[in-house]
Amino acid sequence: MARRPPQGVQMLGSLLAAIAIVAAAIAIVTAHFGPTSSAELDARQERLEQREENIEELQELEEERRERDR
Amino acid sequence: MEDLIEELTRGNVTEVKVLLASIVLGLAVYQVLLAAVTYGWLRLPFLESGAAGWTHRASGDTILVLTVVVAIMCIGYSGFEDGGAHAVVATILLGVFATKVLVVRLGGRISRVLPLLGVSLLILFGITWLTSAGDFLGVG
Repeated sequence: MARRPPQGVQMLGSLLAAIAIVAAAIAIVTAHFGPTSSAELDARQERLEQREENIEELQELEEERRERDR
Repeated sequence: MEDLIEELTRGNVTEVKVLLASIVLGLAVYQVLLAAVTYGWLRLPFLESGAAGWTHRASGDTILVLTVVVAIMCIGYSGFEDGGAHAVVATILLGVFATKVLVVRLGGRISRVLPLLGVSLLILFGITWLTSAGDFLGVG
């Protein structure tokens, strides 16, 4: 029969396995949540605001063009 | 209490509870495996009973702390009233958990019920998770 690793190594290994389980649980659950970090939410908000500004700008330009045409 | 929990979780109360409960469930499954090695029911070529028992206790302490944190968040934020089956099962779980800790501390002949309490705890953790975190994640 193969010899088992020393007691300390066994303890460390089994503890590392527990840490791996915790890491896997965090990865799986946060993947379900999707991007909810404040940095990503801020970036998303900024993109939305930028898009709204662009639309407003385009509308203004369109209105100016119409007025000039009249 | 509600405000404190909201502040500590930055408004992500449910997400934090789901995450902690999922970690507890993962560790609870591992606990049963470690207990099986400790009692000699499962023989692994790389893990002895002593080392498995040591990790079982360390992991168990972690589970206890996380369970108490989740319970405080649940009761402090949502209360008992709207808990339904989840609240009932979770209360039984806390009772069984407290009994297991007491039996471990007392030792002696009463320790023979530890495997039964351990398996019961895993089942209760599973049901509690399914009726809350599982529901939230679309599993339950």
